[in-house]
Amino acid sequence: MASWPPPAERTLIGKPIKRLDGPVKSRGAAKYTYDIIRPGMLYARLLNSPHPHARVRSIDLSAAQKLPGVRAAIALKDTANPDTSKVFYQGEEVAAVAATTEEIAADALRLIKVEWEVLPHLASVEQAERPEAPQVFPKGNVTQPAMQQEGDAEAALKASAHVVEGLYTTQVQTHTSLETHGGICEWDGDNLTAWVSTQAVHGTRNGVAKALGIPQTNMRVLTDYMGGGFGSKLGGDVQVVIAARLAKAAGAPVKLMLDRKEEHLIVGNRPSAYAQVKAGVDAQGKLTAIDAETWGTGGAGQGAGFPFPYQVYPFPARRRRHRDIYINAGPQRAFRAPGHPQSCFITEIVMDELADRLRLDPLEFRLRNLPPEQPNQMWGAYFKIGAEKIGWAKRHPTGDPASGPIKRGMGCAANRWAGAGSPQTRGECSIMPDGSVVTRIGTQDIGTGTRTLVAMITAETMGLPLEAVQAAIGDTNFPFAPGSGGSVTVSSVTSTVRHAAENARDELFKRVAASMNVDPATLVARNGRVHVASDPGKGLTWREACKQLGTTPITSPGEFQANLGTVGTSGVQFADVEVDIETGVTTVKRVVCVQDCGMIVDKLTAESQCIGGVIMGLGFALYENRILDRNTGHMVNPNMEWYLVPGMSDIPPIDVTLVDQPERGVVGIGEPPMISTAAAVGNAIANAIGVRVRSLPLTPEAVLNAIEREKRGGT
Amino acid sequence: MASKKRNEPGFSRRTFLKTVGAGGVAAGVLGPAEAAQGQAVGAAGPGAVPITLTINGRTHKLEVEPRVTLLDALRTRLDITGVKRVCDRGACGACTMIVDGKTIYSCSTLAIEAQGKAIRTIESFTQGTVLHPVQQAFCEHDGLMCGFCTPGFVVSAVALLERTPKPTREQAQKALDGNICRCGTYQRVLEAVLDPKASAGVKRG
Repeated sequence: MASWPPPAERTLIGKPIKRLDGPVKSRGAAKYTYDIIRPGMLYARLLNSPHPHARVRSIDLSAAQKLPGVRAAIALKDTANPDTSKVFYQGEEVAAVAATTEEIAADALRLIKVEWEVLPHLASVEQAERPEAPQVFPKGNVTQPAMQQEGDAEAALKASAHVVEGLYTTQVQTHTSLETHGGICEWDGDNLTAWVSTQAVHGTRNGVAKALGIPQTNMRVLTDYMGGGFGSKLGGDVQVVIAARLAKAAGAPVKLMLDRKEEHLIVGNRPSAYAQVKAGVDAQGKLTAIDAETWGTGGAGQGAGFPFPYQVYPFPARRRRHRDIYINAGPQRAFRAPGHPQSCFITEIVMDELADRLRLDPLEFRLRNLPPEQPNQMWGAYFKIGAEKIGWAKRHPTGDPASGPIKRGMGCAANRWAGAGSPQTRGECSIMPDGSVVTRIGTQDIGTGTRTLVAMITAETMGLPLEAVQAAIGDTNFPFAPGSGGSVTVSSVTSTVRHAAENARDELFKRVAASMNVDPATLVARNGRVHVASDPGKGLTWREACKQLGTTPITSPGEFQANLGTVGTSGVQFADVEVDIETGVTTVKRVVCVQDCGMIVDKLTAESQCIGGVIMGLGFALYENRILDRNTGHMVNPNMEWYLVPGMSDIPPIDVTLVDQPERGVVGIGEPPMISTAAAVGNAIANAIGVRVRSLPLTPEAVLNAIEREKRGGT
Repeated sequence: MASKKRNEPGFSRRTFLKTVGAGGVAAGVLGPAEAAQGQAVGAAGPGAVPITLTINGRTHKLEVEPRVTLLDALRTRLDITGVKRVCDRGACGACTMIVDGKTIYSCSTLAIEAQGKAIRTIESFTQGTVLHPVQQAFCEHDGLMCGFCTPGFVVSAVALLERTPKPTREQAQKALDGNICRCGTYQRVLEAVLDPKASAGVKRG
């Protein structure tokens, strides 16, 4: 069983280590999938459905195929089959072409003749729920409600001293990864090599090989660098399957990368959430019960589940009825902490409203209602740290009493996430006779710094500087590691690498001990030397030791070590905002983030992860919204000028406190820092303007409407 | 048309977008520079035409259709891929280059328009394996995550520091407002750009 070195002996673990691929990325020399050009490579483009719901009667590729430069064209809908000839959302793939240039491929798309039978569509949950709505989905437009119940919520609400009631909503958010989905497929006989922008090289091989009907052993997936995924790139994407089919047809490598509009439409989003909530407290400020009707849409045939209430504050009695509503829009996919930001926003806004009814400070109210502290639920302690940092003592009760249109306010919210590793993770570490070291593991670096962690743990184990070891990742020829989702990667990878590196190092000790006349168990590897632990003088340099391997290198396997990781992170965030009640514009002045990740591996990149999560949370809070035209079902902002992700001037100072818990194992925090930001901002806005805005995004329009509603007698 | 003074006071992402919108129209008419060179832009194409681009001090001769953007010409014809295609319509800055001393969105500039101009890309900043001080600062401050937006940010930052060696926080934010990052590196990028070491080795334009 592997173990972490004692804290005092750690040379790299827990320190701020610069990411290894910083130089190659900042020079523009890192080759992403989008950048790779293979000899003789063709460029592919997709013909997408312009209709949100239609039957494809026929697809005529003949004119496109005759265009000079076009080398392959394929139909993606089986028009003879009534079940598979339909499209259910704008952008759905209908046909594809590969040509010598992308411009020719685009021309060829315009030559494809498609006969459509346009069918009635549903562009919103409201349309889908109308009794007269057309039956669009084979399973029905609305699922049977799922019930969850504990205790007698109805009775507990009746007995409550105060009850808050309202409708809370969150919008659809798109991932907007900067590198779009896609890949390059190249056949060599029956073998396929695919360079793919993916969060899961092994998952991609699994899905694509199955779709193509080829043995997985015949396929290799490579992802050296990738430009963001956030949950949308976890599987065997259809773009890769299409590129492989076109490559087969054309007899040449084919690159298919989606354009920005397609990226918004067809490769996933965070579903919307609606909750009609009734929540109560007793006169002492203890939560009594919550009763909620919830729904949402994950697009065409996809669920919109989210945990509710958010599992931080225990409500003794709970009742919830949830239904998924299908509309003719791109299907949802996992998106950074699926379900959590929605649930956190709704629950934390309700918490502040309850505190207001009690005339209690919302922080004090939260402290009264938190479960007992445990290493993975430290909200009480973190709320106190955050309150100190944001200056909570200066907070005024709801509604800034200052005169003038600029109102200031503060709010807070909590988060939780599991972040445990995957027991299936495997890796291997090789020590070569010339002293070079490489660890191979079939994970991928999605921007979190995984490559750096692999090298850090290897170097730490061998007692070598970081530059002396190599990290080989992003290749299905390397042992299995899970897809980078659920924040599982850091725990999966670090423990597996530690195990493999320890095994390789111990094998080296065995092979050199005889020449040193010592027991291998007495040896350690430190400061570039292999020596007797109690007598640093008695030993060899690393190179001398490795030379003893002769012509036979060491390759040792490693597997996930449950004792090196653990489960559960907790965190809190605070926001300090300014709202102009004449324009409705919110300016976030500062965000405080307190988060733990168990034992910190790389302090620098873990803090960056927190900052990045807050920034994406600000986008969810204030700007981002997939807007569908209610008549046409078309997304009206499938671009980056009207789908607003935060920019440099939108970002306030973000103060991160990363709590180290060196006695715990490693926990992933790719997702949790994004969860609480919108809720903290939402509560801060209400604290500033004295009016609740119960829906995201918190746009100027939403703020002004809420103020206006309040003037006319409340919600 | 995408060549706008992005570092000047009062220039924001919003005004940038407006000017890019206007650029789409202007690109179709004869510019004074082309007229002076006697190139009949209206008669070029629709097939591939020979063009000459001066990139990082080197002359490249290539044949592209007039509709090919400067971005695509570099990426798909010359294998110069540090510059990225992300939004492809002048909103995100991943394709930023410096043309005749000004930052431009190369996705919104035609390759034929860039003839006779001095084009600088991210690839020009590194001397051998020695990083440019701005690149070094990005690494030191962890001003990059997935790295896809990073070349665009570095180009914008170098352009800023060549013009304004000691930018204020607000000047730096404004200069980088035309670049979008999805991983959320803005705070680290800002720290990197404001690090005195970043501007110490920058040549003044």
